[in-house]
Amino acid sequence: MTTTRTADAGGRQLAMVLDLNKCLGCHTCTIACKKLWNRDAGAAYAYWNNVETQPGQGYPRRWQETGGRTATGAVKRGEIPDLDADYGRAWTFNHEQVRAQVGAGAHKPWLRPDAPPTWGPNWDEDHGAGEHPGTNHYFYLPRLCNHCTHPACLDACPRRAITKRGEDGIVLVDQDRCHGYRFCVEACPYKKVFFDPERGVANKCIFCLPRIEEGVAPACARQCPGRLRFVGYLDDPEGPIWKLVEKWKVALPLHPEYGLGPNVFYVPPVGPVAFDRAGRLVDDAPRIPGALLESLFGSRVHEALRIVRDERARRRRGEASELMDLLIAYDWNASFRLPAGTREVL
Amino acid sequence: MATRRRLVLSAAPPALSPGGYVARAYADHVTPATAQADLASSFEGGAWSIALSWRAARAVRALDGDPARFVDAAALLVPTTEGAQAMTMGAPGDPVEGVLWRADAERPLRIAAEGWGTVERQPAPPQWTATARWKDGFWYVTFRLVGWPALDRFRRVAVAVWQGAARERAGLKSVTAQWIRLS
Repeated sequence: MTTTRTADAGGRQLAMVLDLNKCLGCHTCTIACKKLWNRDAGAAYAYWNNVETQPGQGYPRRWQETGGRTATGAVKRGEIPDLDADYGRAWTFNHEQVRAQVGAGAHKPWLRPDAPPTWGPNWDEDHGAGEHPGTNHYFYLPRLCNHCTHPACLDACPRRAITKRGEDGIVLVDQDRCHGYRFCVEACPYKKVFFDPERGVANKCIFCLPRIEEGVAPACARQCPGRLRFVGYLDDPEGPIWKLVEKWKVALPLHPEYGLGPNVFYVPPVGPVAFDRAGRLVDDAPRIPGALLESLFGSRVHEALRIVRDERARRRRGEASELMDLLIAYDWNASFRLPAGTREVL
Repeated sequence: MATRRRLVLSAAPPALSPGGYVARAYADHVTPATAQADLASSFEGGAWSIALSWRAARAVRALDGDPARFVDAAALLVPTTEGAQAMTMGAPGDPVEGVLWRADAERPLRIAAEGWGTVERQPAPPQWTATARWKDGFWYVTFRLVGWPALDRFRRVAVAVWQGAARERAGLKSVTAQWIRLS
């Protein structure tokens, strides 16, 4: 394994693309990740992968306001989210009490959280915005570490405990070096570094590194029922990532204005069109406001949406579309292009 | 013979912190959370006793499962060469050694560094102890240190204090700018 302090060493970069038009909001990705990596007591509140509703406050709450970068990419002092108000403490339930009630013949035992919940990784699901009927809208935004080209977490660590692997660009925390200072938690504008207060060290998504080294895609991608995730190398012209990001230019990074070079990309949601007062569809009035999408994915989002719409129209006319074939994921195996030879046989 | 000193502490300069974030995000961190501390030291029977006290309006003794909490801590630093500087925590070829007390740890830690960001921690020798109590808004921490050649030789220390309530950690600390000579 080779590691480097920055991504400027010329190494390759693994990346992921998520087609937001296909996300069901089922949270299978979140659970797959949580069950695989985050079962320690000190990580009970932590979700390396989460799915949040946009528009919404997300997880941790207000993450778009509390990171260590300004809208022009300058360093600013970030915040460590509050366990109760921002992350949401992991819920525990009165199972013993309910068992006792059932044993005593109670007809309506009440299973409830031990403490009133205040926030959580799925707190404002489906709230969205707009007026029903007509302009109400929301979409799901799955989030994980972006394994940035210029990671804010790496830049923030005075211990040099965070490294970016030269061979695949995966950003890792060396927990033997970590002293638990949490500048990484503060600085990451995506709030995807967590602190384990039981072990006193930081942790974050490792892009399922042991699976990657066996040629298997990360659990969040493999377990996705919607087949919306693509995994591969950014510079592989035969792979789905290069095609979606570089060739078709329909996959965009989240908050590119932070200037960190995120390597998780999103195909923005086209969404339905709005209704007018008479209940008729208005073709040129998308229900998801362009300004919202631009605030998340930058000004290139409009061109990306136009390309997706054009290719959809082409497909509806019965014409061939490489982009649509790719996004539909007819061949699921083609969604994950990892080194040949270690490629998993399904 | 005992040494008693009132120490003036200053905020360690964030600009010394490795990486680009801390130096910029905390450029305004110029006021020490702990402006002064009292030090009393003696050397008897081959053992150093070094007592530190400082004002801490609220003691933070444990993380209590809170990812945003930081605990109180204090450290003594000792040079191992004539040229080792306290403020930089030594430098390559001019290492420093130290002992770290954390309010949430039963035993002190021995530390070694050759510059900021290079601190290595290990359990302190069993004959080293740190006893602490917090009373009426002050921490009182007494180190008893036996068999520390660098301290025996140079008889100088630097002091660092971290206030958990002020979220001080790493280079966000109050320090003595120079070595303090122990008699």
